[in-house]
Amino acid sequence: MSTGTSRRCGDFRTRYAQEMTWFPSPRSAAACAIGLGLLLLAPLVLKNYGLALLIQIGYLGIAALGLNLVTGFTGQISLGHAAFFGFGAFASAWLSNRHGVPVLLAMPAAGVLTALVGLVFGAPAARIKGLYLAIATLAAQYILEDFFNRATWFTGGAAGANAQPANLFGFVFSGDVRYFYLVVVAVVAMFGFAANLMRTRDGRAMVAVRDHYLAAEIMGIPLARYRILAFGLASFYAGVAGALMGHYVGFVSTESINILLSVQMLGMIIIGGMGSIMGSLLGAAFMVLMPEAVEGLFHALGLIGGGADKGLVYLKEISIGLVIILFLVFEPEGLAHRWRQTKAWWKLYPFTH
Amino acid sequence: MKSGLLLQFALNGLIIGTLYGMVAMCFVLVFKASRAVNFAQGEFLLVGAWLCWGFMSQLGVPLWAGFLLTTVAMALLGALIQAVVIRPLIGEPVISVIMVTIGLSVVLRGITLWIFGPEPKSFPGGSGGATVNLAGLNIEAVYLWGAGAAVIGMAAFAWFFKYSRLGLAMRATAFNQQVAQSLGVSIQRIFIVSWAISALVSGVAGVVVGVVNGISPGLSLFGIKVFPAVILGGLDSIVGAIVGGIVIGLLENLAQFVDGEYLHWGNLYVVAPFYALVLVLMLKPYGLFGTRDIERI
Amino acid sequence: MNRYALSTLVAAAALAAAGGASAQSIVIGSLDDLTGPTSANGKEFAAAKSDAVKWINANGGINGKKLEMLSFDYSYKAPVAITTYKKWAGDNPRPQVIYGYGTADTEALSAMVNTDKVVYLSHSFSANLTDPAGTSKKVEKPTPYNFFHGPSYSDGCRALVQWAAADFKKKGGKGKAKFVYMGDNHPYPNSAKEACMAYAGKQGMEVLPVIQYSMAPADFKAQCLSLKETGANYTYLANAANATIALLKSCATVGVKTQYLTNIYAYSEPVMTAIGDAADGVVAPIHVAPWGTDVSGMRRVREIGGAEPKSTFYMAALCTMMYLREALITADKSGGVTGENVRKAMYAKANWEPEGLAGVCAPATWTDKDHRSVIDVPIVQGTMSGGKPGWKKLDVVHLGREAEWFGR
Repeated sequence: MSTGTSRRCGDFRTRYAQEMTWFPSPRSAAACAIGLGLLLLAPLVLKNYGLALLIQIGYLGIAALGLNLVTGFTGQISLGHAAFFGFGAFASAWLSNRHGVPVLLAMPAAGVLTALVGLVFGAPAARIKGLYLAIATLAAQYILEDFFNRATWFTGGAAGANAQPANLFGFVFSGDVRYFYLVVVAVVAMFGFAANLMRTRDGRAMVAVRDHYLAAEIMGIPLARYRILAFGLASFYAGVAGALMGHYVGFVSTESINILLSVQMLGMIIIGGMGSIMGSLLGAAFMVLMPEAVEGLFHALGLIGGGADKGLVYLKEISIGLVIILFLVFEPEGLAHRWRQTKAWWKLYPFTH
Repeated sequence: MKSGLLLQFALNGLIIGTLYGMVAMCFVLVFKASRAVNFAQGEFLLVGAWLCWGFMSQLGVPLWAGFLLTTVAMALLGALIQAVVIRPLIGEPVISVIMVTIGLSVVLRGITLWIFGPEPKSFPGGSGGATVNLAGLNIEAVYLWGAGAAVIGMAAFAWFFKYSRLGLAMRATAFNQQVAQSLGVSIQRIFIVSWAISALVSGVAGVVVGVVNGISPGLSLFGIKVFPAVILGGLDSIVGAIVGGIVIGLLENLAQFVDGEYLHWGNLYVVAPFYALVLVLMLKPYGLFGTRDIERI
Repeated sequence: MNRYALSTLVAAAALAAAGGASAQSIVIGSLDDLTGPTSANGKEFAAAKSDAVKWINANGGINGKKLEMLSFDYSYKAPVAITTYKKWAGDNPRPQVIYGYGTADTEALSAMVNTDKVVYLSHSFSANLTDPAGTSKKVEKPTPYNFFHGPSYSDGCRALVQWAAADFKKKGGKGKAKFVYMGDNHPYPNSAKEACMAYAGKQGMEVLPVIQYSMAPADFKAQCLSLKETGANYTYLANAANATIALLKSCATVGVKTQYLTNIYAYSEPVMTAIGDAADGVVAPIHVAPWGTDVSGMRRVREIGGAEPKSTFYMAALCTMMYLREALITADKSGGVTGENVRKAMYAKANWEPEGLAGVCAPATWTDKDHRSVIDVPIVQGTMSGGKPGWKKLDVVHLGREAEWFGR
């Protein structure tokens, strides 16, 4: 939204429509377009490794955005997001394998199925608040994990489910380059939808519920409806993200759908900045790239060679945790906030305000 | 119905429940005083167990001496963590503090892996040694000591919070930090003390669990089991934490009894506490003993 | 914004750091778990892999060429395994063989390695990795490039069940022996469940309902009480080491009397030491000779690993590395080390024991129709006397190459 950024002097808005634009200024819109263009040209420069990282950032960013919708924008902490992510992956594989639904349709359909499941778990959210809700969603995580391990008709049990690559009228999205473009389209669509949502009445209602739900209720905003809606939307996003992951890897298993992934997603939005659309992507990028960067740093310093250099492997783990702690100590409001501060400093230099 | 077997299950649940309650109590202590949810609680248990093992195997001291050394070390560790990691985040949204504790858990796990290695070890001198037979159930003596310590601890904390100056100061801080500060309570000291005590008690629990079940990096997952107990009892009630722990312990064991004898589903032991949790929260959103958040407009 | 530059920078740095191999060396990839949930096993495997590489390079390399192993600790996280694979795929020269680790990475990468024709060795013995041509109709995708040395988890359990049935008769048991499968509801423990319970039924045992215990160590007295109530004669423990340690200790306290059977990754010398006396008597299908066994191949093992005793985990990885060595040598001679050539080289011998390691590794046979490498399963019993772990060889169970079991 166009609020929250410092604008240049003399930039006056005279109509509502001007106030509600996606980008605060034409320059900002142009920058975004250029960035998108560069992204589309990325496969010329990056090899599979870089594309794989970007694809991972893409679908984790979508999942993080979903979590941000429910936690950052509506104020309900959810610790069960990974379960919905996994559900979407399994649902998409199941739809495309068992029912022959084309993959590109199965992905959004999986999202819808996940949203329905999310609505079921969102219903208690109307009554429970804050940290209690966090633990209730934690319970949902374990219950769904148990369901995945039991429902072999759905998940393929111990062997997991194989997911086919996406196929659009014979154009198979196999290989990193093609899948990268698919993910870019998905990211643009989902992020665009969320950004749009936040400038509509429903989006503002969600923010009102987060900021002061009593006042919101007094003003006539139905709390239960928006809380449940937020959960449903978040699950939809998680489901689509899971489906994207499933068809990229080609295999879905319950091994990686656990509480640690939920915590990691929460970490993404906290570090990226709660209540910020861009922050979701930044946080996902941080969580994906940071271990790689630490690993690369250790390699470059020649510390980890071939063979198990055990002491330093643990140092890598420790440094990842330390980076998270240090980051939060110095910037508790997340990357998005830091980005805004940097932009403001750049614009106002040498003045301070 | 096999009443003898049921009694054994109930007894086991009671004893294990007091252990859960002890860990839940640490959790609540930190929350009551500094409004921080400590996701690194499991790692505190792990560190406590490893420290005691380290003292015993490197210095060759017997269990009780290692135990005492561990309590001192854990208290210092708790204070250190509060000073270095948590204090900079006073006043920040609680979710940032949660994330920092998550980062802390990663760091602690890495450090214990580095110093002590990934292999599971058992305490020198065998596992808990003596077993006591209660109503046909063999229970390790260490558990009984642990349960006894938990009960004494609960009584001590109840007295502490009600009658001692420091305890009153802690309750005041939990109630309203600014008012307490304006009345002369040193918030810094309260925070340090609460984290130190929490770390100390977790270390004790960790030693008990480690002596019985062996120490391995997986011990930190014991902390996740505690969350249902804490929520069940209410996040800001010490008594609630112990009761919650006992309820969860009993529930798990009774679920296993029903599952083993009649239902044969296999998973009740793990999921029953969570289902129960969801049910309780639907009826009592603040847990059994939690204080109701009175909303003021 | 910076994130694109950053990722390019990271990719470039990683590529620069990793791609240091010369033309006269053979590069393989290796995934380890040194900091994740199975790090106790992972540490042993990693030690064996690096010792083996050192020995290989000191003893002629691969036809004179140096063997380089790119190791990576992926902490049992499948996404990290995937990005590491992509990173290696962009390397020059690109590893044609990857020595993977466990279920998480093997399953996550199986589609990719089979498309990219990269030989993937693993310590995951899952039965659905044993069908290279799809003939079993039980696996969803054929896996011609997945290899592992040892009986599959299902076959291992079947061998134990067969031994147990014979043991029950030998000990004069009347009627049906009671069998219980214990494990968590999770891919690793579940992998042998159906196959094993079906076979136990076939062997005339009374198959009792599954008792679940979690992969995370906890107090398992409740489960042990249930186990005690069932009066099972034979109990199979399907989880990995950490949980099994806690379970055996709890059950010893409760006083359960049963013959424990367990899987290869739950039981080895360090694990037995951690358990203590309760570890005595557990039976497992271990396809390598434990350290100190009197076989001629032990001398080579000491050459590679040094004088200190090594665990069975170490031995298992060592065997796999030595099979790989011979396959690489053969492939290099016949057209160069590519995934396809290495794969063909794995099919070269039947009842194959690595050269110099006679008696150490169970003889393996891989064919292009069947990747079940070991079907004559050695059954071994662990003993604890005076706090020291030991082994007693019980039997070698000859499972057939049943079509019905293929892929399950």
